[in-house]
Amino acid sequence: MADLLGQLEALSKGARDAIARAADEKAIEELRVRFLGKKGELSAVLRGMGQLSAEERPRVGEVANRVKDEVEALLDGARRRLEAAKLEAELAGPPIDVTLPPRRLLPRGHRHPITRATEEIAGIFARLGYEVASGPEIELDWYNFEALNIPPDHPARDMQDTFYADESTLRHGVEPGTVLLRTHTSPVQIRAMKRIGEPPVRIICPGRVYRSDYDQTHSPMFHQVEGLCVDEGITFADLKGTLAAFARAYFGPGTKTRFRPSYFPFVEPGAEVDVSCSICGGSGRIPVRAQGQADEPAPERAGGSGGRELREGGASGPPSGQTKRCGTCKETGWLEVLGAGMVHPKVLENGGIDPKRYTGFAFGMGVERMAMLRYGIDDLRLYFENDLRFLQQF
Amino acid sequence: MRISLNWLSEYVDVPSPEELAKRLTAVGLEVEAIERTGTGLDGVVAARIVASEKHPNAEKLSVSRVDAGRGEPLQIVCGAKNYQVGDVVPLATVGTVLPGGGKIEKAKLRGVESSGMLCSAKELGLAEEASGLLLLDRKIAPGTPVAKALALEDVLLDVNVTPNRPDALSHVGIAREVAAALGKKVRMPAPRLAEQGAPARDAVKVRIDAPDRCARYAARVVEGVKIGPSPLWLARRLESCGVRSISNVVDATNLVLLELGHPLHAFDLDKVAGREIVVRTARPGEKLTTLDGKERALSPEDLLIADRDRGSALAGVMGGGDSEISAGTTRVLLESAWFQPGGIRRTSRRHGLKTEASYRFERGADPGMVIPAVDRCAALIAELAGGTVRPGIVDCHPREVRAPEVRLRWTRPAKILGMDVAKDDARRILAGLGFEERAADAEGATFRVPSWRADVSIEEDLVEEVVRTKGYDAIPETLPHGASDTPAEPLEARAVARIRAALEGAGFAEAVNFSFVAERELEPFQRHVATGDGTGRALGIALKNPISAELSVMRTSLVPSLLKNVAHNLRQRIADVRLYELASVYYPNPDPKQRPSAEFVEVAGVILGRRSPASWATGADASDFFDAKAAVAGVLEALGVEVRWRPRGDGWLHPRTSASLLAGEDVVGDVGELHPRVAAAFELPRGVLAFRLSLDALLRAARLVPQHRAIPRLPAVLRDLAVVVDEAAPAAAVEGLVREEALVESVTLFDVYRGAPLPAGKKNLAFAIAYRAAERTLTDAEADAAHARIVKRLAEKLGAELRG
Repeated sequence: MADLLGQLEALSKGARDAIARAADEKAIEELRVRFLGKKGELSAVLRGMGQLSAEERPRVGEVANRVKDEVEALLDGARRRLEAAKLEAELAGPPIDVTLPPRRLLPRGHRHPITRATEEIAGIFARLGYEVASGPEIELDWYNFEALNIPPDHPARDMQDTFYADESTLRHGVEPGTVLLRTHTSPVQIRAMKRIGEPPVRIICPGRVYRSDYDQTHSPMFHQVEGLCVDEGITFADLKGTLAAFARAYFGPGTKTRFRPSYFPFVEPGAEVDVSCSICGGSGRIPVRAQGQADEPAPERAGGSGGRELREGGASGPPSGQTKRCGTCKETGWLEVLGAGMVHPKVLENGGIDPKRYTGFAFGMGVERMAMLRYGIDDLRLYFENDLRFLQQF
Repeated sequence: MRISLNWLSEYVDVPSPEELAKRLTAVGLEVEAIERTGTGLDGVVAARIVASEKHPNAEKLSVSRVDAGRGEPLQIVCGAKNYQVGDVVPLATVGTVLPGGGKIEKAKLRGVESSGMLCSAKELGLAEEASGLLLLDRKIAPGTPVAKALALEDVLLDVNVTPNRPDALSHVGIAREVAAALGKKVRMPAPRLAEQGAPARDAVKVRIDAPDRCARYAARVVEGVKIGPSPLWLARRLESCGVRSISNVVDATNLVLLELGHPLHAFDLDKVAGREIVVRTARPGEKLTTLDGKERALSPEDLLIADRDRGSALAGVMGGGDSEISAGTTRVLLESAWFQPGGIRRTSRRHGLKTEASYRFERGADPGMVIPAVDRCAALIAELAGGTVRPGIVDCHPREVRAPEVRLRWTRPAKILGMDVAKDDARRILAGLGFEERAADAEGATFRVPSWRADVSIEEDLVEEVVRTKGYDAIPETLPHGASDTPAEPLEARAVARIRAALEGAGFAEAVNFSFVAERELEPFQRHVATGDGTGRALGIALKNPISAELSVMRTSLVPSLLKNVAHNLRQRIADVRLYELASVYYPNPDPKQRPSAEFVEVAGVILGRRSPASWATGADASDFFDAKAAVAGVLEALGVEVRWRPRGDGWLHPRTSASLLAGEDVVGDVGELHPRVAAAFELPRGVLAFRLSLDALLRAARLVPQHRAIPRLPAVLRDLAVVVDEAAPAAAVEGLVREEALVESVTLFDVYRGAPLPAGKKNLAFAIAYRAAERTLTDAEADAAHARIVKRLAEKLGAELRG
């Protein structure tokens, strides 16, 4: 028995030494087989147990189990040690080239700047409780002109060169010369009032409009956003407050608005609305930067919250203290962006609304211009060329 | 309207040009530009020619001695011939830089010294052409700066006069506005008329046959005139306002036009047959040669100023050549009339003839100015052309044009403006603008509108007069009270937002194209519109007056515009293109009374080039049908639309590689490779993919609000199925048969294989199928049984064989 116990002792010691020296998973496995396998050293020792007495056997068995547990624990420990070392080695290796371009399966999409501007404008008015309304682009003279207080021989028709439809390409039943491409979004005012019936009316209508004029600064198709608010007790002060709020939301919190008397046949009183120039901040002058820097900074702001932040740093050098003429507002400090006024009583009547009881205001703006001012676009023709190098900037 | 400040200040005291511009803009007469003239002539002075002789060495030159007010006469070499000793001409002295940029230096010309240059009007930048020296008034003292002598130093305001304000199309009109804004008085021109001889009515008769078109016609007669050039001050005055100087008599009418705003016309009385003026409409077939030399066929709607025999002027628009003032004219008939605006406008438009006169008459001339204008002009002609004015006016006045009376309730401004306006304020402002208070009570007052304000007819107009004078800045800023009901975002707007997001997520850039295209570009799309009674056909609603044939028909498809965009980008060497557009297409409305067109929103897209952006990480495969289908599928999924894919899309697509999408029987759209012939027509390479979807059809099939289903808690059994079928069998048909098995939860086609060892005409489709029962754990045996049923069904229906 002492012999067996001695062998177990030797086995245990041999295993400790060998496992401590094991350098890899394979060596550990070999040691497991050598010590604990069916033909291993422990089995060989246990085979000698047959010669022992019944009293001795449990004692030797107990020691053998202890040695077995010990060797197994040593093997586990060795494995964990090796895994940890391996992980450490992996983590300590060289990094991948993270500067390689990303794996893009599809290019990035782009929304047209006119749509972007329209959505921003409509979004601001949606927050003020305005609903989006629409109407046909091929319109009747009555909606486009007469209902808006522009009778056939009215000189205000000179302000708009109208495209007319060829009646032979329409269905029977239209008066000759009465079908046209709408020259403004204002006919939607009439259609919306008729549809809604009883005020309150609070609508915004973005859309395509057409005028027969095509050169560097005129496009035969362009976009407008029209707004209309009719209710009891609506005043010019409400118009001023609404457009001032809009201008701050679109151009930035510091934006000022200025109303000037003007004439649109469908409003009375009428106004043109200027906003303080978003490029020069209303000063009419812009800083001259160190040589080789961008001449005229494009407006850059985030989500309409930036006010008159010009592009600082980066491409532009520090201000030199000198200023030059702002080309965007022609040094006036103001940009003409909106037409507006109190809805003419005849227009309310034509919309089926009682002008004795209700008042309202209307306004309109050109989306191309609004987008130009927001994104620094300087050429109207870019909008409709659909050159991807332009579209991809948005 | 160009306004000369020198001229304006004759009628009203003006502040600085900048202040004046600000005030005018503030009352609604926007000053668009301020221009200073007469600058750049420093060093040019008036010089009297004292002596002149031929140049000793040059045939065409002469040597003059001139008095330039400096004591010693100066010697000048000159090439012009149009002067005599004693004339006063402009001299550019040594050191002067002329407007053309030339600097005058002391020089020897052919051996003779010259101390300056005598100048023509052209050399001073005062005229486009000149045929000799500019001869100045001999009374001008030598040495006087020419800019001062000619009153060239002036400030011109470019005033944008809106169409409702014809009264502001003159210097006196602007003066009225300035006076009202600044609380000053207008100094009206007071003509001094010395009438002589027999009464005018003995020289001419006037008859108005169309009193509805001409409410008043007043004529004066000036005799013994001598037609000649206008004095320089008058020519300059007209030219500074953009009107060419013609002769003293014609210029006098134009001066009065620009001064008082009332158009006048001068006839050669000796050419007026029968010494009779008849205001009538044109007779059928009648013709008239207007002053511009064009013979015009008249409409019976055109109003004529005629003599006994024939028309001599297109009333209120342009005179006729026959009765024109000419060099030999000695007797002038001066016309001052008031014409109905609408008729003038129709004639002006019909003949494409816009003149200073028609511009004012069609907006509404001042009926109160008919007599003052003719008086002023007659006096001016007598002064300029040396004639005598016959006593009296031949005044035919069949109809009174009365300015309305308008009532203003004192509470009304506050209701419209949101700002109180004191009663006295309103009264003072309206009085300043010429409104005469006729009656008043506690609630309001009635005002007579001044004759020149044809634009004022209702209470709101009076409110505007008050507020534009007070200034819009005085109005406070408020927001409308009480938000109204908040409607749900309309279905269409939500769908559009999702479509945009889906396509942009799939790499498309949005295009915006004109709504009109060339007719031939619509041909391949064969979406003819029904015209007339419904049996006629056209390619689209056409424009009567398009910009060009390229932009002449309202499109019935967005695709041709996008194809042109692809071609444009290819020309810019951009090879990978994904573009979409979301816009209306246009059809005639069968019932056009209220809406002549039926407009439908469509979304269309095009793809050309690589599937993925050029990169180290992705392949360079060209896009194909399934890339276009993926883009469309993305849109459908975003809207919850389920469709069937039917082979062969619309005719503009390649018949083999295209499909239509159907929701029920509704055609939602088409997608596929562009037909090779259409590609060729648009000068595009093969391989362009395109799609179009109808928003209405999408909306009809859309499920925008997802509905929750419980997620399965019990395990599924997964089995793969590989079957060999005929090439013609659509994958969707195989999948459909698989799905007939009730236990099938999902089917994914993960491989399509053709080629060895399969025979030609066969393909292998491999599906991963998940079987699941809702209420219990499915056993392998149950799944195997279901799988076997599927195999059997596929074999029976499609002759499919299980692949080993």
